[in-house]
Amino acid sequence: MNSLTFKFIAVLRRVAQIVVVIVGSTLFVSLLLQLLPVGLEDLYVFALDEAGRQEQIRLLHLDANPVMFYLYWLGDFVRGDFGSYVYPTGVLDPVAPRLGAALPISLRLVVYVQIVALAISIPLGIFTAYRSGRRSDKVISYGLFTAASIPNFVFALLLASFFGVSLAWFPPLGYTAPGDGFVEHLRSMALPVMALAIPTVATYTRLLRTDVIATLREDYVTMAASKGLSNRRILFTHVLRPSSVTLFTSAALNMGALIGGTLVIEQIFSIPGLGSEIGLAIFSRQYFALQSYVAIIAIGYVVFNGIVDVAVGFVDPRSRERSNA
Amino acid sequence: MSAILSIRKLVVNFETPRGLLSAVRDVSLEIEQGSSVGIVGESGSGKTVMSRAAMGLLSGSTVRREGTVMFDDKELTAMRADEVRDQFGTGMAMIFQDPMTALNPVRRIGSQLSEGPRVRLGMDKKAARARSIELLSLVRIPDPEAMLNKFPFQLSGGMRQRVMIAIALACKPKLLFADEPTTALDVTVQAQILQLLSDLRREMNMSMVLVTHDLGVVANHTDFVAVMYAGEIVEQAPTTELFSNMKMPYTEALLKSIPKIDSASGARMAVIEGRLPDPTDRPSGCGFAARCSYVQDKCRTEHPPLVDAGNGHLYRCWYPLGHTIGRK
Amino acid sequence: MRNLFAQMNLLSKLSAVWMALMTALAVFGWLIPLPDPREYDPEASAAGLFSPGHLLGTDAGGYDLLSNVVNGARTSLLIAFISVGFGGLVGSAVGIIAAYRRGRLDYVVSTGFNILLSIPNLVLGLALVAVLATSSDPSVPIASNRRVIIIIIALTVVIIPILGRIARGATLTWINREFVVAARSMGMRDKDIIVRHIVPNVLPAIYSVLFLAVGVVIVAEGALSLLGVGVVDGVSWGAMIARVAGEFTYAPQSMYVPVVVVALTVIACNQLGDFLRGRLDLREGRI
Repeated sequence: MNSLTFKFIAVLRRVAQIVVVIVGSTLFVSLLLQLLPVGLEDLYVFALDEAGRQEQIRLLHLDANPVMFYLYWLGDFVRGDFGSYVYPTGVLDPVAPRLGAALPISLRLVVYVQIVALAISIPLGIFTAYRSGRRSDKVISYGLFTAASIPNFVFALLLASFFGVSLAWFPPLGYTAPGDGFVEHLRSMALPVMALAIPTVATYTRLLRTDVIATLREDYVTMAASKGLSNRRILFTHVLRPSSVTLFTSAALNMGALIGGTLVIEQIFSIPGLGSEIGLAIFSRQYFALQSYVAIIAIGYVVFNGIVDVAVGFVDPRSRERSNA
Repeated sequence: MSAILSIRKLVVNFETPRGLLSAVRDVSLEIEQGSSVGIVGESGSGKTVMSRAAMGLLSGSTVRREGTVMFDDKELTAMRADEVRDQFGTGMAMIFQDPMTALNPVRRIGSQLSEGPRVRLGMDKKAARARSIELLSLVRIPDPEAMLNKFPFQLSGGMRQRVMIAIALACKPKLLFADEPTTALDVTVQAQILQLLSDLRREMNMSMVLVTHDLGVVANHTDFVAVMYAGEIVEQAPTTELFSNMKMPYTEALLKSIPKIDSASGARMAVIEGRLPDPTDRPSGCGFAARCSYVQDKCRTEHPPLVDAGNGHLYRCWYPLGHTIGRK
Repeated sequence: MRNLFAQMNLLSKLSAVWMALMTALAVFGWLIPLPDPREYDPEASAAGLFSPGHLLGTDAGGYDLLSNVVNGARTSLLIAFISVGFGGLVGSAVGIIAAYRRGRLDYVVSTGFNILLSIPNLVLGLALVAVLATSSDPSVPIASNRRVIIIIIALTVVIIPILGRIARGATLTWINREFVVAARSMGMRDKDIIVRHIVPNVLPAIYSVLFLAVGVVIVAEGALSLLGVGVVDGVSWGAMIARVAGEFTYAPQSMYVPVVVVALTVIACNQLGDFLRGRLDLREGRI
């Protein structure tokens, strides 16, 4: 078999793994609803006459056993029906349009944070690695360690009170859509992005620093030096390429923490993203909606990591070797 | 004949949490133009640190280097880092013990090979590619064009080492440092690579420093040998003189530890008893005293000086081999 | 213990002292004569530091901040220690056994860990608390005590796969070492091999992560409160943060006290975890 076949099999195996985890996590979330101390019927069936009750119970699949209940949900989900808010009047308010409005806002937030964090941490990581052991490195490294430990909501509150209230440079609350003025949009995102980016920068910089220090000790870097290459050239052609694979993989893995972070940050800054939607769903006891939201986060996270995993396999020739072995 | 590389009173220390570690102590050595010099010792004897320090390739805030190194009549030790860099590739080049770690795993052979000619000789892409193919055929690699597109892990150990030699020779250096160039290879491949290096050295009229733990290797491929122990040169002589008139018990012990290539396992069987002295706490007497089978009381207390035996033969021993006086 | 403290650098020592102080406040804090944390002072709303009768000031609702920090330590550290202790115990036991047995059990367990880890830990905790803390009558909220128990259960579930995966990984690196193979070849029972050979070697890796996990749980408790499902009307650090977060536009000064206490505690946990990890690396390096 040639290496392409091996690669194909490796990708297939990874996809199978992803499917198992997705089914497992969505099933887990679906089973959670069975743990409710209150019956779903008591929460969502409001019809007064018996015929109406039976009709609603069938409509919401509340008469199905847990596994069938999951399969009904899964069937709807793959067809783009993410469930509904159920109001006491019996009106169903579908989740899909709400999700369509909220998800892009959260994704924007996450993407901005990743861009800002990488733009700061790459030069900072390289700088501290080259200065490793010197005073400037020690000071920065201790600062980063502390910053990485501080929860993002602490930064959010401090930034909001300082830049939002005391200095009033940025709006402390609220969100402006890019269509309503791009500058205002960026201003409304500035504080939430900073709150999430500070601990992220700290994490990435520490990672890149460790990795670059290790790479600088490699024989092939000494070899490059013995060819008479300049430090700058060695950095860009020999050091950064292997180190960047590590960094981007970790950045992808960090998505989970960032998504969790956006929930809280959106709540603090009143940003109408997925976090606010989840908060609303919990507050108004709309667990069908909650089930779909959590499932979407889990699926997005697993699929994204899978893609990065496979992509790294193609970018980094070393992992091709591993999958060939 | 003039010296291409001349090392005078080279001292290298490392700052460690346990104190100063002395890796190289007062080493002086001349490498004649066009000659091949072997530097021999166990691992930890300081031979690798010595050769890298001589080239100016030891970096890091913990390294302390003293002494002078002259290369091609220029004083390397007085140069700025970028001036030293200008000597690499065209002046000095190096090949490493393990080609797997010395070749960048994520870059193709072609780009690693053409890098030197492009940066150091200012060749354009096309010329550098032609030069790369020429170099790969020079190191006897079949189908050199196909090789350019491969990654290091796709090659066998022997092929990788040939590629590394090609990279080192890319800018026609005057002096090649080969640091244990065959240790990571199979026994049969070892012989091929050493022969290749010797042939290329003659073809290109290059000087070579061969760093190895194996006296058997230097016997066939060098003109001059320096034996290192615990950071010092303990014996040095022209190769034929050394093997016919060995003075130092340590050299003799090294010679006895050479494995027979045709022995069944091919593994290194004989080793020298005992261990190297602690480099952060050197003994006051001869560093080899604790392991020497001819040791006398004087060896344990007084450090032996380098003695000139004539014919360019120097040794560092109170009771050299071949003298029966004072021996038990 | 004294030996361990002597090996620490200054920051680790400060961290250990801080954690000891917080733990002491959690255990003996009720002995300190302080105002009732749930009683508001109508005379002093959003009072600054060192106000008369309120050493650390009050929040916008007039609650005494020092009293809330001291009494909140009890709730927050109780949640942290119990969920990390219990989650760590269950997670490590399952992880070690799965890695030791390999085969189907290992596949099931590691897939289970992967499933739980595929949901970002805050989202998982949030979903669990939201579901478990649903009361039948929306106008009657769940009592604080029950909420604390629910949060502990939820965060235990969050911690289990985190520590389980680490224990499993550490076990895998030890099961093929010579002394384990030797013990097996001498006919030692699996249970004894695990207890005598595996556990002592895996424990150091777990210890260093336990502190990090305490930090994770303290952050999670704060985040859950901010999302409205924490010990909402109770006395905890998370509850304090949730209150000041709603008030920071008009009472920013009262925000600093809970924020600094939580930040210092999490920094201290990470510093201690880092110190233990460093010792571990040294030990492994020597082997």
